[in-house]
Amino acid sequence: MAAREPSRYLARTLPRAIAPSARPQTLACRRNASDDAPARRLSNHLAELETESSLATPLPADTVKSFNPVAAAKSRRAQLPRSRYQFRPPKYDRGPLHPHQPPPPSDPSSRVFVPGPFSLPRVQQTYDAAIASDILTLCYVHNPPGFTPPPKAPRLREWDDSSPYHKNRPLRGPRGGDVLRLLRKPIKFNSIPELERITIHSYVKQAAQENSGWLHVAGMAVQAISNKRVETFKSRASVSTWSIAPGRDTVAVKAELRGEDMYHFFGKLVDVVLPRLKDWPGVKGTSGDSSGNITFGLEPEQVALFPEIEVNYDMYPPKMIPGCHITIHTSAQADKDARLLLSAMGVPFHGKIVN
Amino acid sequence: MATKSNGARRIVSLLRPSIVDTSVCRSCQQTLGRRQYAVATETPATETASIAKDPSASTTFPVVKPVYTINAGIALSRPPQVTRELEPFEQAYYFYQKRLNERLALPFTKYFYFKRGTPADEDWKRKILDRRTAARDIGKYNAYASDAWNDELLVDAREADPAHQVEMLVQDAEATANATSQDTSKKEEIPRPFPRVTEADKKGDEKSLDRLLPRTLYLLVQAKGGYWTLPNAPVEAGESLRLAAERTLAQSAGVNMNTWMVGYHPVGHNVLEFKRPAIDQAAGTELRGEKTFFLKARIMAGQADLSVNTLGLKDFKWLSKEEIAKYVHPGYYHDIKNMLADR
Repeated sequence: MAAREPSRYLARTLPRAIAPSARPQTLACRRNASDDAPARRLSNHLAELETESSLATPLPADTVKSFNPVAAAKSRRAQLPRSRYQFRPPKYDRGPLHPHQPPPPSDPSSRVFVPGPFSLPRVQQTYDAAIASDILTLCYVHNPPGFTPPPKAPRLREWDDSSPYHKNRPLRGPRGGDVLRLLRKPIKFNSIPELERITIHSYVKQAAQENSGWLHVAGMAVQAISNKRVETFKSRASVSTWSIAPGRDTVAVKAELRGEDMYHFFGKLVDVVLPRLKDWPGVKGTSGDSSGNITFGLEPEQVALFPEIEVNYDMYPPKMIPGCHITIHTSAQADKDARLLLSAMGVPFHGKIVN
Repeated sequence: MATKSNGARRIVSLLRPSIVDTSVCRSCQQTLGRRQYAVATETPATETASIAKDPSASTTFPVVKPVYTINAGIALSRPPQVTRELEPFEQAYYFYQKRLNERLALPFTKYFYFKRGTPADEDWKRKILDRRTAARDIGKYNAYASDAWNDELLVDAREADPAHQVEMLVQDAEATANATSQDTSKKEEIPRPFPRVTEADKKGDEKSLDRLLPRTLYLLVQAKGGYWTLPNAPVEAGESLRLAAERTLAQSAGVNMNTWMVGYHPVGHNVLEFKRPAIDQAAGTELRGEKTFFLKARIMAGQADLSVNTLGLKDFKWLSKEEIAKYVHPGYYHDIKNMLADR
């Protein structure tokens, strides 16, 4: 048995050594008669493609001069009839088996289509060109070849089985609190922290105490500074001193910004509003939810410094301009990294820095 | 059993073109052998040649270990100062989206922005007659009119050009300021943004930091030999790479710069092999070449000044990535190009 071992191994490995690899090493040069058929001749198809972009292709000058679509439409003796069929997307999505399907959201005829983007924001360009690479350099950790990181203790601890009641118990939480923090992975080229979204939230207690005008003004102000439709929220907590009951009073507005809107808002905040704040030391160093999201608040008079509100400040009832909380959600997994990103993008921090 | 199957493995490895590289583990060697790369077999040949060459050099001097000089280089850069130019396609795309938005969005709520009877309201009425839309940067286009279908730009139309859009915004602001001001005697002038092309660009001044505003510029210096490199100098004993890089910068381009070193780790490296190993008589060592490790730095203010440099540098230039390729050796550029910013 033992004597036959090597030969069996040999028999198993020999074909592997001799067999050609899966990828052909030489070019496939077999020709078929059907390759000469006009439909298969690739070169003809390529010749039909225009080599230049249509934006760069020159046109004859007289064609350019005589082309006037409005005049051509007006000179028609009879106007063209309206198209008999105009596509309307269905109002309700009736499921995948229904014959009338809504178009995808990216289709301009869709009911949920939102146009944009309209520009390439400056903040985004700065991030891409300078900040991202700097953060990658700053956060690099060198491990020599052959280095294996020491094994970490399990995040959820075992029970020590000192009591018979430990049997089948769920694992214990981490030391120093029950919260299981996010795993902090090393920052690599594909995980550089970046802005994900910004939430502007404004809680207006007078909307419950007095009238809904406060909420309307707050919504208009937040909409103006964010370029987004706001959502309204009812209170979940009962605050008897403000006579707010849960589920009854609509007390808050929120706008969530992503993409282009987010970068434009961040740019205005950092370059126009924050430098003009008086006696404002910066965002508190203790701010953050320990998973990479930083929150800070603006007073009503600080919100009024946004250029969109300043331009027609008279139209807002001055007492009703709301304060707001601004949460900057980053893709960082720890507050330390989020603070590094934000300070690189121009948000000042003050006080004791808590990581 | 294990030894016997090892014997079989050895027989198999004899049958296939073998790679004798002791630094690669056996299982990886098997994988490599299966790939049948022609290049893989070349390595042992060059290695044996270099080993054969070595004894002749080491017979005259009792050199034990060939060494490299370790240099600290510094990639001092000025980040982009303005946004980049948009491609024609991007301009057309953004313009298309703006007019599409005009067709899909609710009309402008005039009453919220202009009180009736004010000068601003009168000014608004005059402008909307002319412009046909509330947006100031999409040309004359009314998305609610019967000719709203005519939303495409004709050849040579300038509406999609960002420079033209900025000009339109400034003219609009000027018109508002003139129409609503009490003092009608003097005309209000609203400053235009500074041009993207500066004096230094026009003159071709490659020493100025004001050139090529949308690009990242790197400091390139001309060494004694006349060739261009990033500033670098040997690391001294007991000095860290970062300290050496800071010293290199001070020694080559002076201290009249406000700079920030980005991190403590090099972002790139370059190995220069001498054609003939240099012999250091005093230390009794043989120098094979130079290894340069580049640290990253940003310049905030100031300018390079070579009058005080101690490295014998002749000239300096602030160049973008593509321009660097024209000045430096192709092999050198190959090594540094991936640490230079594209924009």
